Amino acid sequence: MSNKNNSENVAYNELAIRYNLSVVEYVRTSMAALSGCTAGLLGLTGLYGAAFYIFAVTSLWLMVLFKAGFKTWKSYFISRKGLLTNGFFGHLFTYILCWTFIYGMVHVY
Amino acid sequence: MTADLIVDHEIRLWVFLPIVVITFLVGILRHYISILISSQKKVELQQLRDSQLILRAKLLRENAKYIPKSTFLMRRYAFNKEEEGYLTQKRPNNTQNAMTDPSVMTDMLKGNVTNVLPMLIIGGWINWMFSGFITTKVPFPLTLRFKSMLQRGIELSHLDASWVSSASWYFLNVFGLRSIYALVLGENNAADQSRQMQEQMSGAATNMPQDPRVAFKAEWEALEILEHQWALSNIENTLI
Amino acid sequence: MSGGILYRILVIVGFMSLFHSAYSAAQHRSYLRLNELDFLGLPLDISIQAILSLYIIVYGILQVSGTFKEIKASAELDNKSWGTFRNIPSFYMFAHRGKAFSKFYNPVMSKSYLEEVE
Repeated sequence: MSNKNNSENVAYNELAIRYNLSVVEYVRTSMAALSGCTAGLLGLTGLYGAAFYIFAVTSLWLMVLFKAGFKTWKSYFISRKGLLTNGFFGHLFTYILCWTFIYGMVHVY
Repeated sequence: MTADLIVDHEIRLWVFLPIVVITFLVGILRHYISILISSQKKVELQQLRDSQLILRAKLLRENAKYIPKSTFLMRRYAFNKEEEGYLTQKRPNNTQNAMTDPSVMTDMLKGNVTNVLPMLIIGGWINWMFSGFITTKVPFPLTLRFKSMLQRGIELSHLDASWVSSASWYFLNVFGLRSIYALVLGENNAADQSRQMQEQMSGAATNMPQDPRVAFKAEWEALEILEHQWALSNIENTLI
Repeated sequence: MSGGILYRILVIVGFMSLFHSAYSAAQHRSYLRLNELDFLGLPLDISIQAILSLYIIVYGILQVSGTFKEIKASAELDNKSWGTFRNIPSFYMFAHRGKAFSKFYNPVMSKSYLEEVE
């Protein structure tokens, strides 16, 4: 497969892009919920929790890249940065809910 | 921020957890009920035909430069011929009023039954059943402005703003479980009531069967004023 | 998906581990409260268990959620030969006029013959 990688002249498969993004979205939602649970479990408060969220999102990003392959991610995603930043604040609410929930379950009572 | 308030353990088991579970299960139940009673929206033949016609006209308008002038004029004539062209034909005024059409009415009723009714009933029930508890504490400091939002049902002016009352915990759940539903039930599920409320607000106008004549008129105008310029007139020289 | 079951089990094990660490943390909290000690942070083993199980779950979910597809439009066509690609059933021809050259071909059915039959 000798692909001439002219970044402008590549035709993309719309369906595959959307499928990939939905997979990432699924994983990211689970990550937000689960890292929220873990943060609540660890009893993080205030800014530590926010830092943990950033840490979790970044490590998830690395894991996704690892799954796609650090060399070959270009054949699965268009932009690596968009993978990191998309839905960052959208999932924050899920994170906060789970964080509050588990924190309440474990540490308040 | 010292945790000087000690909350009874029983609240966790009998208030805090049930609210989460009830909210979650009601969401799932609503998803399946709305699948059960929803009806496929039928598309009428005439409507479909009209939309395809407009698509064709748009295609012609956008790609007119790739066909010779005579063929373009021929096609435009077919669309815009006086009295009998596709876009100028006379139509009986058959747009029904949304209120008199029974299928629209039942759709609205179903939407209300699956969206608004559970919200009212469950919300009211939870407010009545679990009123006045302090359930949890958000693990980050908040300013006093959040007090009215997070401590609905408790009027204690000296309580720290990060404590959450039971009613507010329910509302937090209603809005926060959205992405969990997406995880459990797949995308585009019906449990997501907050999104549907938004749709009801904004999307009411677009869902109506709109009058085709207006769209036809616009398309007719656009075709009339289009000036044909053939992009390929010099194609032989360019290619060779 | 090969090995899907394995990763599913991994996810379940991770969830149980996470739940276990949550339960331990709750126990620790109640122990501190009963002895009227101050909360200085969780014991290290619980924290490590929690974070580890988080990563186990996320890794499992990442594997379960499906494989990525190539986004190049030509990705699917790269492995196909021209022969398969050129094969268009709608354009099959079953009555080619070239068959008149075959020596087994016997021309029947002139138009007048058809009319006589009716």
